[in-house]
Amino acid sequence: MAIGISGYGVYIPRLRIKRDDYAKAWGSFSAAGVNEKSVMGYDEDVLTSAAKVARRALESVPLASEKVTRFLLASTSAPYVEKLLSGTVLTSVGIPNSVLTSDHTTSTRAGTEAMLAGFEHVQANPSGNALVAAADSPKASMWDSVEHALGAGAAAFVLSSENLIAELEGHASYASEHFGERFRPREDELLHDLSVKKFAESSLMSNTTKAASALMKRTGRKPEEYAHVVIQQPDARVPGSVASRMSFTEAQLASSIVSKSVGDLGAASTPVALASALDAAKIGDRIMVISYGSGAGSDALSFKVVSEKKATVSFQSDLDRKEYIDYVKYLKIRGAIV
Amino acid sequence: MAHVSVPMYWRTIPQRYKLMGQKCKKCGAINFPPKGVCKYCNASSEFEEIQLSGKGKVHTFVLISAGGAPPEFADQEKSSGSYPVAIVELQEGPKVIGQIADTDPKEVKIGMPVTTELRKIYSEEDVIRYGFKFVPEREGK
Repeated sequence: MAIGISGYGVYIPRLRIKRDDYAKAWGSFSAAGVNEKSVMGYDEDVLTSAAKVARRALESVPLASEKVTRFLLASTSAPYVEKLLSGTVLTSVGIPNSVLTSDHTTSTRAGTEAMLAGFEHVQANPSGNALVAAADSPKASMWDSVEHALGAGAAAFVLSSENLIAELEGHASYASEHFGERFRPREDELLHDLSVKKFAESSLMSNTTKAASALMKRTGRKPEEYAHVVIQQPDARVPGSVASRMSFTEAQLASSIVSKSVGDLGAASTPVALASALDAAKIGDRIMVISYGSGAGSDALSFKVVSEKKATVSFQSDLDRKEYIDYVKYLKIRGAIV
Repeated sequence: MAHVSVPMYWRTIPQRYKLMGQKCKKCGAINFPPKGVCKYCNASSEFEEIQLSGKGKVHTFVLISAGGAPPEFADQEKSSGSYPVAIVELQEGPKVIGQIADTDPKEVKIGMPVTTELRKIYSEEDVIRYGFKFVPEREGK
């Protein structure tokens, strides 16, 4: 039985800040390849964004919210450290109170982690519909260069065994022990990063390439068989480095490099990038997705596109609708002036 | 700040999170927000729960600027500038008050089509109070 994605939706908040505004404030901008990034409004958070993309994904199928049998939420920047998060979104969207929900929150890998848990549900319940929403707006100290890349966005997917847009061909994961790169101690609201750059890079390279190689070994696919390759985007340069290590080309990345205009979307990074790739995909295209979360782990998923049905609102359409803010307004909205 | 207790707010979640209204079993009018007695016929307290579309048109609006915001919205005004509050006539009939988000306040016009989405309204006692706001209905998407 084939299972896969039967609908998807994406959301990029309207506010943007340009790299030049950072450069004016700090003298430099640390996010490689990021020209501007998206910012959530004062009255938005990951739960309001998740509610929005969840509705958009259901509309694209279309599927009534009462038909959802599993709901999964992924984010690294939830408004509460303890309290069920998925309940807020479930109530707003009208998903039955009786479905199993889960919150995936401690890693930027959480988006694909939630997708894979959703696929397990559909595998076990062929008539089920899993709804996965990933939304993120990670936060770090304004004094920390890791803050420069942090953007905001969300994407959601309906996973099922019917009306598929993209079939799941296989998946593989890799987890290991690394530290010092992008972490948040319990008592701290802001991300830490010890800036051990080479060490962090080796963790990213080893986890992502191991997950992706294991997947290609399992499916028997070769790098050139993929039309679209979606890789975690802490900035806009990382995907290129991972791709070249795996013998993927820049052309295969082209449809999914969203970070150059929205920044680092954390747990929503690969989900939003996948939505962008689906916007461009044609029947028969294969899509490789490789996520990464510090600490560290990676998931790789392989899809085959079987329908050209698209989201009701494209990534590009949300991208085109924008209002620029300057750095002072950014600080105010982010609550960095207290 | 106008104090709204946690249980009081909780009771309004169906209307605030997903626009559940009520249809009067006697006169058929749609009440929103829900009432004890139908505000149209004043003769029935029996209702059928109905899901409103959230879509409507701006009937009238006002811009709330510095000094004009109630205390629970003062930080929003300070951080993001003046914000529009509108009376929106919903497709189903009721006229509903709410903020208009996701737009330049200068773009708001009477008659403009809007829809609703979940936003943070304000926080009290460290509890985020979510609810609907109006946003411009996008054509063509």
